[in-house]
Amino acid sequence: MLKELDPLLHSQLRLAIVSILMSVDEADFVYLREKTNATAGNLSVQIDKLTSAGYIEANRILNGKKTRTLCKMTDIGRNAFEEYIETLKTYLIIKK
Amino acid sequence: MEDKITSEKESLEIISRMIQSSKNNMQVGRGNYLLYSGYFTAILSITLFVLITITHNGMWSCGWMLMFVYHYAITYKRRQQKPLVVTYTDKVIRQVWRVLGSMFSLTFIAIAILGEVYGQYDFALMMPLSLLYVGIGVSINGIILRERWMIYSPLVAFLFAFYMLMMLVTGRHITVVWNLYLGISFVVMQIIPGHIINKKAKHQC
Repeated sequence: MLKELDPLLHSQLRLAIVSILMSVDEADFVYLREKTNATAGNLSVQIDKLTSAGYIEANRILNGKKTRTLCKMTDIGRNAFEEYIETLKTYLIIKK
Repeated sequence: MEDKITSEKESLEIISRMIQSSKNNMQVGRGNYLLYSGYFTAILSITLFVLITITHNGMWSCGWMLMFVYHYAITYKRRQQKPLVVTYTDKVIRQVWRVLGSMFSLTFIAIAILGEVYGQYDFALMMPLSLLYVGIGVSINGIILRERWMIYSPLVAFLFAFYMLMMLVTGRHITVVWNLYLGISFVVMQIIPGHIINKKAKHQC
């Protein structure tokens, strides 16, 4: 029986966020918004979901008068992403 | 982007697209850190050369201490302006400069302590060692960024450094021209690669 794909990662925007964060060390909210073409509200909701699950770390910092949100993968998130890829591979092999 | 994924292939497509888009974080002005440092050092070297030549006062060499001021000013500025994204490459480059900066400071402290012990201060050694440290840093950065100019341009600095070390070891006189050697080295290993990187970034973005 095929293992279920992690529902938290099996979403367009959340997968996009995690994919970006897997390839960089740290990314700002604005950068993620530019790369994913998402609205600020939607992005914020998805980041909160990933943060609540412990997949990513979101730190709010003060930069002058502005508040910035810096996001970064956690070890739990990395493991979850790697597992997601492994499961995805099994799906693709069977479909072949 | 929506909340649902229609197929596994779509998942793969999103992953590869996102990784690709953030892989080459080539930003306009990426070579600026080389340019700022290069121009500052080149101008400082010419200024000190002129001042020592005109006044015949070797104390102007203490002007090289401004390098520390420059370093701390740049570090402060970077901390204030965090970039939108920090790639692993950026992180490695930052660590390389942190290690070399520490070596620079430690060398200065070591010379000061030895000067105190032996009653004779000779900071002339800082010149060739600075060229070696900065040259190694630029070359490592070049390897990381795959910039050929950055990898090989520090050879000029290494040649001047070895020449200076040979002069010091053989007990010959340090000349005022050494200041210019430093300036020339920084032009070749920082200013030229800095402009090349910025030009490439402009083309890619």
